[in-house]
Amino acid sequence: MAEVEKKEVAAATPPWKPKPRPIVRLGIVLISHSLLVSVVCCTAGVVALFLLPMLAKNTYISENALMPGSASSMLSNDDISEAERLAKDLTSLNSGAADAGIERRRVLAKYLSDLGVEVGYHKFEPHQNQFHPLHFFSSPDSGLSRENGSCSSYGINVVGIIRAPQADGKEAIVLVTPFNFRKNSSSEALSISIGYAVFSLLSRVTWLAKDIIWLVADSQYGEYASVASWLRDYHIPVFSASSSHNADSCFEGNNINLLREESLDRTEISSGFRRAGTMAAALVLKVTDVKGQLEDTLSVYAEASNGQMPNLDLINVVNYLAVHRQGLRVKVEKFLSVLRWEWIWVLGDTLNFIGKVAGSLNPEWKFGISTPDYVEGTATLANSLYRQALGIPTGPHGAFRDFQVDAITLEISPKVVYTNQGRRNEFILRSARLIEGVVRSVNNLLEKFHQSFFLYLLTSPAKFVSVGVYMIGFALLVAPLPLVAASLYVDANKPDPSSQGPKHKLQINFKPWKWLSAAKQVFTVHAWGVFVSLLPYFISQIPNSTPAAHSIIWFSLSTFGLLVLYLITKSHSKPQKGEWENLKSVTISVVFIGLLLMSVVNFATAQIGALVLVPACLLAQPLKLDIRDASLKSFLRIACNVFISFVAFPPVGFFVLKGVNEGFGDMDVGEFWTWLESLWAWNSATYIYIGMVHLPCWVLCLHILLHSC
Amino acid sequence: MRSKLPDAASSRKMAASSAVVAILASIWLCSSIAADASGSSSETTMHTNNWAVLVCTSRFWFNYRHMANTLSLYRTVKRLGIPDERIILMLADDMACNSRNKYPAQVFNNENHWLNLYGDNVEVDYRGYEVTVENFLRVLTGRHESAVPRSKRLLSDEGSHILLYMTGHGGDEFLKFQDSEELQSHDLADAVKQMKEKHRFKELLIMVDTCQAATLFNQLHSPGVLAIASSMKGENSYSHHLDSDVGVSVVDRFTFYTLAFFERLNMYDNASLSRLFNSYDPNLLMSNAYYRTDLYQRNLQEVPVTNFFGSVMETVHTDSAYRAFPQKNTPRETRIRTGNTAEDDSRRSILTDMTKAECPFTRIVSSLESKMETVGNLDSLVNYGLVMILPVLVVSVWLST
Repeated sequence: MAEVEKKEVAAATPPWKPKPRPIVRLGIVLISHSLLVSVVCCTAGVVALFLLPMLAKNTYISENALMPGSASSMLSNDDISEAERLAKDLTSLNSGAADAGIERRRVLAKYLSDLGVEVGYHKFEPHQNQFHPLHFFSSPDSGLSRENGSCSSYGINVVGIIRAPQADGKEAIVLVTPFNFRKNSSSEALSISIGYAVFSLLSRVTWLAKDIIWLVADSQYGEYASVASWLRDYHIPVFSASSSHNADSCFEGNNINLLREESLDRTEISSGFRRAGTMAAALVLKVTDVKGQLEDTLSVYAEASNGQMPNLDLINVVNYLAVHRQGLRVKVEKFLSVLRWEWIWVLGDTLNFIGKVAGSLNPEWKFGISTPDYVEGTATLANSLYRQALGIPTGPHGAFRDFQVDAITLEISPKVVYTNQGRRNEFILRSARLIEGVVRSVNNLLEKFHQSFFLYLLTSPAKFVSVGVYMIGFALLVAPLPLVAASLYVDANKPDPSSQGPKHKLQINFKPWKWLSAAKQVFTVHAWGVFVSLLPYFISQIPNSTPAAHSIIWFSLSTFGLLVLYLITKSHSKPQKGEWENLKSVTISVVFIGLLLMSVVNFATAQIGALVLVPACLLAQPLKLDIRDASLKSFLRIACNVFISFVAFPPVGFFVLKGVNEGFGDMDVGEFWTWLESLWAWNSATYIYIGMVHLPCWVLCLHILLHSC
Repeated sequence: MRSKLPDAASSRKMAASSAVVAILASIWLCSSIAADASGSSSETTMHTNNWAVLVCTSRFWFNYRHMANTLSLYRTVKRLGIPDERIILMLADDMACNSRNKYPAQVFNNENHWLNLYGDNVEVDYRGYEVTVENFLRVLTGRHESAVPRSKRLLSDEGSHILLYMTGHGGDEFLKFQDSEELQSHDLADAVKQMKEKHRFKELLIMVDTCQAATLFNQLHSPGVLAIASSMKGENSYSHHLDSDVGVSVVDRFTFYTLAFFERLNMYDNASLSRLFNSYDPNLLMSNAYYRTDLYQRNLQEVPVTNFFGSVMETVHTDSAYRAFPQKNTPRETRIRTGNTAEDDSRRSILTDMTKAECPFTRIVSSLESKMETVGNLDSLVNYGLVMILPVLVVSVWLST
């Protein structure tokens, strides 16, 4: 891009054409003042990022059809007591018995079929998420499920479906309650209670326009795996006879068949996979015990893979109903460590003061924000940004997003572990009414969620920063990159002032192929980046080794690869003039392209990456030159360069971040490996970014720093 | 215009004998009726029938209240005497059978659920996607394709009072139809103008319950049009209350208070339009109701609301109406029967039957009227008049010589 711009500049300024077009002149002015522009833009970009909590808007229900809370709850105490009876029946079963899980499923299925709804079992083989280099960005149907199913382990979900009495059955709303059938857990029993109370009510109502699916997900192999495999089977039916035969033969001899036959006698449990319409929304309901809370709280988790978010309206509806109808405290996750940072509080105070001053000057300007609000907002925003950047779903709802279904996880935690039945019933009533309200609201939808935002960052449960606002900071950060690249290129190719007389400033002896050698270097390093990103696939095949060993093998192999590359491509010719400028120019262009591409895939990653890479690239200058210069400015630059290159190295960056958040107490080299493993296991694009954009650019910056010019 | 010629002729013959004057008077009477019948000036036409066009323009479950508004008004005008065949009911969606409806096949306009608006017999003429701007304009202007049945046409004439009620989502000079198209104030004004040209109404009351409803009347120019809007420009029209059982707002404020006004009335009440207009309280409506009366000639205090919202005809008073009753057993039966179908024409003919024996003047008038109804070609009537002029001419010529 920079080259193109450059060529335009060159073509537009021949001497016989005295006045180029204004856009060209503007470009020339910006390029010739690229240092000033980049300093201003980068500062503004960082400032804009810190202003985001102030610019956050209050959420509002954008979709008219939703009408949350307009209908009064129909849930009665009868539903609750029936649900509690189910919970008691489930927990009273001896957990030690081998068939307790089967017995629990049977009890649950019986309760469901007594409601008159369709009940089905869904058996699945949990499979480990494995790194497969070709499966990034591929559809969820990766064919992993039936490859090497060992018969020893499988899970069984229980699914109940209410058919909407007056509707066409083309749409459905999904409720998910993770439940470990093998274990007795009071909080999971509580979530089953809530789920059943809502479900039994919904089986009676006349106002359903969408079918209701209640998935009691067998969580013994993880909550996500069971939901994901059910979703996969729901959306991708298997027609091949052989594979189904395989699966069945696998279950032969196990007691699943026994279970099915036994239950078929009394209840009508379908043997086939039951489906309803396309999913309008999904709610994952969990109850957790968190000690030391002042009131019943509801935590909302929304981030799905690669920073995708459900439509903001879904969060709004839940937040509105929880706060204004059921009196629950709604939380979204935040970085608690940010609250401890003094300088954030100082910044908050400053902004508060500025807001007040502005308010006193003109009462129309109301951008003031109280300091605690600002700090809370920053902590939540940081977490929101981090979770999205990580690209790992924060709960089973992530599986729905892969099928473009809006879903969130609601984690309700009671104030205390209720022993009193009355208090417990009241808690169930409130939670169930919340779910009922959300279901009724979503039921009113006429189309898929589309009115509100999909691209946003939350700064509190009721405040958000939309894409139009947060893009500004990023755009300001990356804007100097092409300008600096162009200006470096111009500088590098400037004719020697001694040989030619003083001419027009930008009239240059244009050598179009000079940048090719630099591009070759950049390409080689990026190829190395691809190699490094693919290495873990082979390393992870090594049996019986610890993450720490993996990390060390990986590190040494990568370094070895780099050395080999260096030796192969090393040119023995003496460094030419403008070589490092060309290299830097091409590097910056590549970083620019990489960041822009990444901002499309996962904005948060690009934003965090830009915060590190942009200063690293812009500041990079051979240390030799700076040392030779020996001024205060060059020493400052050396310090900055060394610090940034140190921090920008991915493992170092990871441990620094971790240390800032959790303290520098115990560090294990293996943790970095585990962290990266989770990234590729979840097909996070952040992994690709780190391997193919960040790491090569870091190496190139290092190369420029150590350049022997 | 035809009456001018005999008038002029008679003025020239003022000195003629009294017999001639009597003949002239009868001719004048005759020809003036003919002039009325030709409809050259609607001011003098009698109000003969009532029509109502009730339109709900918005779809979707959350617009339940618009359908409830329209159905409530439908019920009211039906109760006040406009028969189903004279009501064109346009409902853009079917809330009663929406799967989200907690009460299948029922529509309520109040959370107390006393009254099911979708009860016994609701004749929806245009439903669902048939409710378009095109169809609406076709109904008003009467320019249908030949296949459209009579029940879907507005078969009004120059003696008709038409109530046009519209509700939905509107804005500055437009009303949204079906989430996809708009009726603009120009369209409405143009349609009304066409109606006027084609003698499709005597008086037209347009009642609109939308946001910024008043702007919809900006382009109206046709005489005989009275307009009421729920809100001024820049104002919203709000819903009245939410039925938390059904889960939606069930009625709009303007319509709610209009209905509240009519609930206290029956067919025989003489409440005037100005009373209706003054009954709107801006504090309760949360908007300012707007009336456009500059195109309307009559004094609103003298116009009963049933002129538009009901079907109560002006009766011609007779001096001995009560004496007639003992002898009129058979007509009363007919009246009950026709009262059910509420055929205005037949009712009027009953009235004329009743008065036939007693008063010679009313007898002449009514017989002329009935003749006017029965005699199809008015030209022959005029021709008779011209033929009668001939002997007068002969006589006057003979007298002057």
